[in-house]
Amino acid sequence: MSSDIIIETINLSKHFGALVAVDDVSLKVRRNSLHAIIGPNGAGKTTFFNLLSGNLEPTGGKVIFKGSDLTGQPVHRMIHHGIGRSFQITNIFPNLTVFENIRLASQALEKYNFKFWMNASRLERCERRTWEVIEKVGLKERAQALARTLPHGDQRKLELGMILAPDPEVLLLDEPTAGMAAEQVPELLALIQEIQKTGNKTVILVEHNMNVVMSVSDIITVMHLGKVLAEGTPAEIAANKEVQTAYLGGLYELNV
Amino acid sequence: MSTFFRKNLLPLATLIVIIIFFLAAAQGMNSQDFVITLLRGLSVGAVTFLVASGFSLIFGLLDVLNLAHGTLFMIGAYIGWTVFVRPDTFVDLLTPLALALSGFTLRDVYPLLSDRIRLSLSMKRILPWALILVSALLFILVLPRYPIAGWNLDNYAQSPVTYSYMADQGTRLPPPTVAFDQISPALAIGGLLLVSLLGSFGLSLFDQSARRSPQLTWRSYASFVILLFIGLITFIFNDALTNFLLGLNANWLFFIAVIVATLSGAGLGALMEMTLIRPLYSRPIYQLMLTIGLSAIGVQIVQAVWGRPEFIMPKPTLFNGSGASCPATNFSSWWQGNCSTILLLGGRVRVYNEILIPIIGVLVLIAVWILLQRTRLGMIIRAGVQDREMVEALGINVRRAFTIVFALGVGLATLGGALAAPSMGLSNAMGESLLLDALIALAIGGLTSYPGAALGSLLVGLIQQFMIQYGQIGISIPFTSLVLKPTPPIVPASTVLLMVIILLILPNGLLGKKE
Amino acid sequence: MQKKSSSFFRNHRASFILLVAVVLLPFIVGLFEGASPAAVWANQGGISKFAEGLGIEIFILALYALSYDLIFGVTGLLSFGHAMFFAVGAYLTGIALKTFALPLSAVIGLVFLASIVQALLFGLVLPRVKGITFALVTLGMASVFHIIIMSSELGSYTGADVGLQGVIVPSFINPANERLRFYFVALVVLVLIYLLYQRFVNSPTGRVCVAIRENEGRAKMLGYNTFAFKLAALMLSSFTAASAGILHALYQPIVSPNVADLSFTVTALLIVLIGGVGTLSGALIGAAIYRLLDFGLRRYIGENASFITGAIYVAFVLFIPYGIVGTWRAKSFRIAEGWRRLLAAFKT
Repeated sequence: MSSDIIIETINLSKHFGALVAVDDVSLKVRRNSLHAIIGPNGAGKTTFFNLLSGNLEPTGGKVIFKGSDLTGQPVHRMIHHGIGRSFQITNIFPNLTVFENIRLASQALEKYNFKFWMNASRLERCERRTWEVIEKVGLKERAQALARTLPHGDQRKLELGMILAPDPEVLLLDEPTAGMAAEQVPELLALIQEIQKTGNKTVILVEHNMNVVMSVSDIITVMHLGKVLAEGTPAEIAANKEVQTAYLGGLYELNV
Repeated sequence: MSTFFRKNLLPLATLIVIIIFFLAAAQGMNSQDFVITLLRGLSVGAVTFLVASGFSLIFGLLDVLNLAHGTLFMIGAYIGWTVFVRPDTFVDLLTPLALALSGFTLRDVYPLLSDRIRLSLSMKRILPWALILVSALLFILVLPRYPIAGWNLDNYAQSPVTYSYMADQGTRLPPPTVAFDQISPALAIGGLLLVSLLGSFGLSLFDQSARRSPQLTWRSYASFVILLFIGLITFIFNDALTNFLLGLNANWLFFIAVIVATLSGAGLGALMEMTLIRPLYSRPIYQLMLTIGLSAIGVQIVQAVWGRPEFIMPKPTLFNGSGASCPATNFSSWWQGNCSTILLLGGRVRVYNEILIPIIGVLVLIAVWILLQRTRLGMIIRAGVQDREMVEALGINVRRAFTIVFALGVGLATLGGALAAPSMGLSNAMGESLLLDALIALAIGGLTSYPGAALGSLLVGLIQQFMIQYGQIGISIPFTSLVLKPTPPIVPASTVLLMVIILLILPNGLLGKKE
Repeated sequence: MQKKSSSFFRNHRASFILLVAVVLLPFIVGLFEGASPAAVWANQGGISKFAEGLGIEIFILALYALSYDLIFGVTGLLSFGHAMFFAVGAYLTGIALKTFALPLSAVIGLVFLASIVQALLFGLVLPRVKGITFALVTLGMASVFHIIIMSSELGSYTGADVGLQGVIVPSFINPANERLRFYFVALVVLVLIYLLYQRFVNSPTGRVCVAIRENEGRAKMLGYNTFAFKLAALMLSSFTAASAGILHALYQPIVSPNVADLSFTVTALLIVLIGGVGTLSGALIGAAIYRLLDFGLRRYIGENASFITGAIYVAFVLFIPYGIVGTWRAKSFRIAEGWRRLLAAFKT
């Protein structure tokens, strides 16, 4: 059973001075699942995410990935373990082309990073992979456009492409639909689902958009004030009285 | 209280280490040397602070590294010198300056005017250039003929050095009378006014793109009228004003000189921000290049106008006496004799350099602190330093705060220049070294932190002066009989080393905010 | 292969023409003063020798600016201590040749080692400080170096504030007698290093450096140990600047301590900004413009030259904001925009 768990946190906590952002969170994520983490603003979702991805160092507790302790690893090692992460605010290389953005992402795991005498465009494996990913996220026509000139929705796709390129086992997606036009959201969600199903990947998703979470995720964890409030399938969460009072508070409508 | 200590553990520990080093090294010094060195350190620290605080305010709010700040400090010193030593030149300059600026206050009126003129397209293209050309030609024609009491740079007897030497002796050279002999006064004044009007109108014509509906208020006319009025008044009462300034007590004149230097610095700063810095907010690297270029231009202008030699600025008489009762033993005897030095714990302390300047430094520190903490502008500035976009999003006119902060920063620098002129002496290179000191001070204290600027400047001043002092008496290294005598190069090296060490421990300086 | 090489020549036609022109320059200048190419070849032409000298200075400056463009324009590290890289090369060469009489090959080896050491020294602080703080720390390090070479204790080696004089230059490259050879040696070094840089920027390593400039945090998240890449760029840059320093020490009769000054770093910054940040070829063009401008203004205007130079920088910033090469590539001159910027003050 334990091999079924790909990523696990044990009593993970993070304090900012007197503020406890993440408080003793123990979470198990099953392999090949789409696991959503939701919670009201200030629930500590993004902090928790930063702990998972190594952007922040925890005050206490551990992150176990496939049985080995990842706590305190530098950020740039994470992708080498197979964990890729996207950001809530679009985080790309604005003055490089779409192609270059994704090529850089796929080059990261290669062995020839320090071959400064060779031309980057001669790296055929890397090149192939880049085109694959660009096609997958549907940016083929815009491959030579500068990333900053893309519309916001396409930038989110690019961001997704950048974490897909090195082919990680676990994708950490921080509000992938943030700021997107409503009609573009389903398209991106379908893409995420497709990637997860066909590529046998584990996706951990932070969202505040309830509809998104309810329709696509296998398991939902609700966080509130830095703690895990509830965990279960979308239906269970929707039925959970505690969640409804603490988090939903009538502000969000549930369309399950 | 304990949380305060825990939060600031690293800065406090660093400070304590520095203090221990100080005390360990100071044991070989007698109290007389110690007091003098301490006061000298305070004095250098105060001048550094005046430059550093302005620099830090500008960098904090505008994100502009104003590398021309040292040059502006120098310009402040030269302006102060001119007003103090050659008030006649200063008065002569007022009229042309007011007239030249007056046209630009009418900028809201010009769009109305240009709407009235119906011109063909090609004429519209040519007109602004033609206007500017005519304006420039007129300027070249009129200004050299406008009588401004100056000095002949080639003639040693007439050079600035002579003036300041005479002023130092207590006599000002009578101003050589300059009169309108090449041009009639009315023509000169009218010409300058025309230059200003044509020039500003021409410049405004370039800006065809952004034509707003001009809101004409009485202000746009009033400022024009006021400037014109000032120009005319200073023209008519030129001699009277000159004689009044010459007859003034040198203390008051010095006060006026410092005020004029500060105000003109503020004006210069506002002008710089509005014309040159504002277009470049999105491109910080180019601001660097721009301010470097401006700095080079500034030095050249000073060289061209005031000449090359280093010259001195006399101290105001209040601090310049050397009568029988000098050096004074206490403050009341100083007051009676206006002594330049005073005996403190057995050491001769120069009143102006080592007592007045630190006091002014502290006063400015408090004044700006109050401005930052207690006023609405200060609140905008502090909030803007934290998060500029947020303040903009709240609909507050940050642009105006930018201009004001730039003016304030430059004004502080020129104030420092005018104040430091009697103690440092004037030279073309005085700005450069001070800018470096200020940068080091800011790096030590924290680049955008106002208290950090004060602390850093203090440390830089103290360390420099103590190192100089140790160069003379030697440091006895604790627990050994060795005596180390730092050679002169160690003086700048010591502050630089301190900066590097502190930045390695605390990348944001002692009091800088963490990211 | 044949096809490829022909297209290569076509793509770089302008560069080749420029290169040929620079190679022929001493002879053409010689023709103007009536010296035959043979006489120029024998280092007899007066004006052509002078032109060669100016050319050598430009090559040295270009090399130096190129190295600055690599760390500033490509990798995005703002350093205020770059002059130290250059000065270490120059001083080490001078001292090794003068005091220790080492052979030139040994000197080059020594400088190579020293350049790696100082890149590591800068690298030491890289993980701790970023942005403007890095600039200040490097400024501090360079100032300490400047103070060391200015100190009178080491005067017998460095010449203190007068500068290092009387470097014994190996006769086969002595700029006094064999200036044309020196000209070509400097040109070859410049061209080789320029090609290496072009290669570097388009290599996997160089692309990551560009990514670091654009968004370092993201580059880290992509799995790059950005520190190693920045260090690599620093090393290459340090070595290039030190080679420029070697040439400088061989060419100039006096190595002045000014080359370790902040203003010399600012020179590099200005050259790069004139030419276009991060374009590499901009550094070469910028260096030529900078040196010729400086020379021309000093010659024809005299002491007030730096006033005009300053004004030209300001004009550059306002009217040609992307530098010469950057503007050329964008094919848009922003003269009108520059005026509008200058006049923005009128709007509010």
